[in-house]
Amino acid sequence: MSKRTKTVLAGIALGLITSALMTATAMTAPEPQPYGEPIGPRVPRDTGAGELLLVVVGGVYPTRAEAEAANAQIVFGDLQGYYVVPVAQFQGFREQVGGAEEFALASAFRTQEGAEEFTLLAEVFGHPATILPERVRSLGGVFAGLGQEPHPDGSGPLLGPVPESLP
Amino acid sequence: MGVRLGSPMGRWVRVLASTAFVLPLILAFHWGQQGWRDHHYNYPSRPDGYTQLVNRFGQPCNEAARAISMSWRADDNGQTYTFRFHKKLGGYRTEMVPNKGGTSTNLDNDVYGHIQNNHLQKYVDHGIYGYACRLKRNGSTYSTHAFGVAIDVSSAEEYMGKCTSTVNTYHASIWKNHNWYWGLAFCDPMHFQYVTGY
Repeated sequence: MSKRTKTVLAGIALGLITSALMTATAMTAPEPQPYGEPIGPRVPRDTGAGELLLVVVGGVYPTRAEAEAANAQIVFGDLQGYYVVPVAQFQGFREQVGGAEEFALASAFRTQEGAEEFTLLAEVFGHPATILPERVRSLGGVFAGLGQEPHPDGSGPLLGPVPESLP
Repeated sequence: MGVRLGSPMGRWVRVLASTAFVLPLILAFHWGQQGWRDHHYNYPSRPDGYTQLVNRFGQPCNEAARAISMSWRADDNGQTYTFRFHKKLGGYRTEMVPNKGGTSTNLDNDVYGHIQNNHLQKYVDHGIYGYACRLKRNGSTYSTHAFGVAIDVSSAEEYMGKCTSTVNTYHASIWKNHNWYWGLAFCDPMHFQYVTGY
């Protein structure tokens, strides 16, 4: 085999390898992401400590056990419904509800739209749902459902404070 | 008290009986007679997994996920449910659906129309909903409802955890033929979603 033939064959082989590599790279390239990187499927357990929140209440109970028993009966199909929370983790909650009960079925929101959407969902299932008339201050505590309302800009879920929720 | 068929009252009885027989047949076929047809227009391909779901339909709770609304009457209690879903899954103008700003004919024209036209509405029971910016029950990940790509039908009868189906089984094939995945596979027979692997 002449030197010229070897050079031509080497060129062809190099071209084939290069095009194979380019094809493989194109085939495995990630899909374009028109909506940005996925925010991650897990919702951060944000309690909104220090923020002024809207709370939708499904009932209040003297003990955690009673609240959990009631919550087990209030099913929103395959969706998360209420959370069992201590009344004391929201400053201003007891004053609006009255009574001496220590635990509530509640879901917290930062926007009126979010609270109203959840109330409508509860209506579909025939469950009680009352938006407390005044915002309450979160003192931390257990997760009460923040992150389950649309961001006002329409881009996705609301995962941080909005002007109305800041003290 | 007996009624002789030849008597004037008997004639009325015959007329009423005929009407009672014929009227439901006329009404049952009205959907197709009014011009409905399956357009099968511009369906998005069904995503598989979370990343594809976000790439195709956007982040959970985004504006497009709740852009289109439709109403559906439950047969057992007569209640009409109005719910929302993603703009890529319906809301495109057809003979039966006004222009709602959607980009396909999937749910509100094609799936719904087939169920009406095939006289399967009697198997749609109460508890119907779509978009909801909520997590999965007892979970920490967003439900497919938060993306506007899931519809629950007959939720009280076909409750989560039930591994058989009593009513939705009659129209499940229509959903499947229009790219919807039925939750019976994971013991949630009320649930139809336009995504797999999530």
